[in-house]
Amino acid sequence: MERRLYFLIGDLVSNTGVGAAAALTVALCVNEAWPMPLGMVVGMLAGDVVALPAAVGLSILFGAMELMLPVMLSGMLTGMVVGMRAASGPVSPAAAAALGAALGLAALAATYGLNAYVLAKYRREEARR
Amino acid sequence: MDLETQRKWDGAVAGYDLMNGFGPERRWAPWKRRLFSAMDGNILFLAIGTGQDIQFFPPGQHITAIDISPRMLEQARPRADRYDGALELRHLDVHDLDYPDATFDQVFTSCTFCSVPRPVDGLRRLARVLKPGGTIGMFEHTGSRFFPFGLMLDLMTPLTRRFGPELNRDTPANVQRAGFVNLSVEPVYLDVVKIIRARRPG
Repeated sequence: MERRLYFLIGDLVSNTGVGAAAALTVALCVNEAWPMPLGMVVGMLAGDVVALPAAVGLSILFGAMELMLPVMLSGMLTGMVVGMRAASGPVSPAAAAALGAALGLAALAATYGLNAYVLAKYRREEARR
Repeated sequence: MDLETQRKWDGAVAGYDLMNGFGPERRWAPWKRRLFSAMDGNILFLAIGTGQDIQFFPPGQHITAIDISPRMLEQARPRADRYDGALELRHLDVHDLDYPDATFDQVFTSCTFCSVPRPVDGLRRLARVLKPGGTIGMFEHTGSRFFPFGLMLDLMTPLTRRFGPELNRDTPANVQRAGFVNLSVEPVYLDVVKIIRARRPG
């Protein structure tokens, strides 16, 4: 797991920030008139449209793949969930942003967890050699 | 000389250090330092770029660093001049290596084989100039077998390859296809960023 404070904070700020931004964008685009599956798909795509340029810019400060992949996941996940939520009923900007930030944090945690799994598997295999 | 690839990387110089020089290099620094600490003997470094990796080279080594882009090499020159050892820069395409067989003890690469147009051929050319038993150490990023990251990297590659690297290559498999043996793959980040080590048979 990343232990350097600079990158830890960078990852947290990037993923919650992009999550919130993606959620706000999707909440502005999707409403109850939309079928939920369409809201989900459009939300997912819109989330990634928000996340990709953010990832490119943030990678200058915080790293390449380690920044880009969780941020893209945050955008996609947030867009999908908020798209479904917005197609079900009105979502206030504050609620959307809060949900987006929480989902961004969840996406980051999932990526950290997967990274820990990959590293642990490698160390077990090396110990067996 | 592959002029199309040369033009691509000449064109990438303007924003290269901005995009790659701070965040990515700081994040990867511990792993690169550890990989390059194994430098020993007559070393070939493929695709030195603007020389961002020179800061991680141990001092006192004998290194030949090549790149297909003369503009990248211009940027690398000040960093190479500051290196505390013997570091020669050459404008050379990996597919046209003009060294005799078995010249080098070791080869190192850093985020290179995401971009070499014919990666297996390039690796075979490196194997030729390596001494029998010589090692290759690579810091690379590849595709992923984990959903949705593999899909993301596959979808982004048609765009990124126009301006820079491909994001979904299977470089460990390419290393094996090129005839290297004793392959080891150490993960740096997920199964995407990794250190690959292998040996030329003999």
